[in-house]
Amino acid sequence: MTHAPVPGRTTAAPIPVATGASPGWRGVRLAMVTLLVISAVGPPALLAMLSASQSWFYPALLPTGWTADAWSAVVRRGPLARAVGTSVVLGLTTGVVGCVLAAPIGRALARLHGAARHVAVAAAVLPAAAPPIAVATGLQLTFVRAQLAGTPVGVVLAHLVPAVGVLSFFFFAVFTAYDTRLDDEARSLGASPRQVWLRVTLPTLRPQLGAGVGLGFLVSWGQVPLTLVIGGGRVHTLPLEVMGYVQAGETRFAAAAALLLILLPIVLLLVASARLVRGSAPASAPAPASAPAPASAPASAPTRVSA
Amino acid sequence: MTARASGSAPGAALAGLVAAPVVVGLGYSAAAAIGLAGPAARGLSLVHIDRVMRDATVWRGLAWTIYAAALATALATAAAVAVAIGFRGTGIGDRLARIAALVPFPIPYVVAAAGAVLVLGQSGLLARLAAAAGVIHDPSGFPPLVLDRPGLGFILTFAWKEVPFLTFVAVSVLATRGQQLEETARTLGASPAATLRRVTVPLLWRGLAPAVVLVFIFIAGTYEGAALLGPTDPLPFAVATYERYQALDLTLRGDGFVLTLLGLILGLAAVAVFEWTRARAERLRS
Repeated sequence: MTHAPVPGRTTAAPIPVATGASPGWRGVRLAMVTLLVISAVGPPALLAMLSASQSWFYPALLPTGWTADAWSAVVRRGPLARAVGTSVVLGLTTGVVGCVLAAPIGRALARLHGAARHVAVAAAVLPAAAPPIAVATGLQLTFVRAQLAGTPVGVVLAHLVPAVGVLSFFFFAVFTAYDTRLDDEARSLGASPRQVWLRVTLPTLRPQLGAGVGLGFLVSWGQVPLTLVIGGGRVHTLPLEVMGYVQAGETRFAAAAALLLILLPIVLLLVASARLVRGSAPASAPAPASAPAPASAPASAPTRVSA
Repeated sequence: MTARASGSAPGAALAGLVAAPVVVGLGYSAAAAIGLAGPAARGLSLVHIDRVMRDATVWRGLAWTIYAAALATALATAAAVAVAIGFRGTGIGDRLARIAALVPFPIPYVVAAAGAVLVLGQSGLLARLAAAAGVIHDPSGFPPLVLDRPGLGFILTFAWKEVPFLTFVAVSVLATRGQQLEETARTLGASPAATLRRVTVPLLWRGLAPAVVLVFIFIAGTYEGAALLGPTDPLPFAVATYERYQALDLTLRGDGFVLTLLGLILGLAAVAVFEWTRARAERLRS
């Protein structure tokens, strides 16, 4: 549908509310930017300061003494360092295994139509959206019977429950936007479905696979309820250490552990963003985390990093 | 061209496999709730369900959870829409605002909650700033924002935590569909205010709806946030579920399975709402 231009009107302003740019509006924008920057930079800065503060009694605005004991505990391979190691291993395993399981599921979901598509997508999202504590308590005794409760393997399997849900939806979005012409061409040249999957589809989607591993990692990295219930206090991860330190009033260690929990995801986010930007080739329309995606599956991929 | 094929059975079966752990949890909880499984199993009985249904503290906790999650979601949505609409340009301020809004995205809930305890507590950073400004003279002069019944600390913390995700979606919606429709409206003579009211906001409303539903589900389901920031009376639903499940008293533990069952059923209902809003948004795009 085309529209006749209105005489005297030029192209539309992209920012309808900002066209006036009055001093009042500029002031509001400045206040909003300031608030956003403080809310982005403030928490890591505060945690860094707290993690090194020896004494910071009310009402002092800044610490009055400094210490590195929380960080030296990390370096000395104490419980905190072991928790970091456990969390990294659990996260990487969850990310990689989750992608291996979820990529074909996402592709199958993207091929569905009508009611089957809606029911299947809802079923795939369910483990990611159900209350994690209810998922954990609902599964614990099954894990106990299988002798998996309290073991790292059991905790990985438990983390995979929401992770595969999140990643299935992620790959559903990826494959909904995926251009199949390359696959069709390979098939027409005689490649088997397996060869197409391994030698065309997966290499084409390498950036999205990397983002998927990162997303699965994040689901595990921030996980509390499933680790708490299925791990049964025998698997110590970084989020559980943060909870424990906060509840025990060990502010310095809580801050150090929390800072460690923040840093790695932020680095991952930056790396994934850079890779996705570089990897957005025309043959594979990238989905959720890469580029603007509209009001549909890609934009609404469930991303609770503490799911 | 998008991937499509006629056979739907493999996709549906695989989706069923993804949901299987939750279905197992539902089945086990249902059996345990009626006394047929679990440590408190004493044969078929509705005593646990009856006790939970009559327990006002459970319903007050559930109501508090829904209230706090709804308010936090509403605040986060309003902030995300404001950022998406107010900072759409290519200037440095616009880009800085968008980047700053997205930074907290990968911060885990447990860190957000732990940080909130340190900032919003009665001897936290905000209280110290208030004391430095002469507004309060001792920690008790600062309003309790942590473990408080109105849940202000919880609401503010999770609103802040979810702004990045909603901002990302809102910016995406406007970037893909917004400009074209707005330009059409302006070309047809709509004023900037009318374009905002009649095009931009409705477009965002429908495009953001699935993400808003997800955010509500996530906030309502958080255990760590509720445990660190929520009140002890009423006890947030997730904390009540865990506490009863962990109780040494086997009777209470049986009640914990009823709460687990209730939580999973509410999760099912929430997913149905999510898929409904997602399907609407998908139709909008196609």
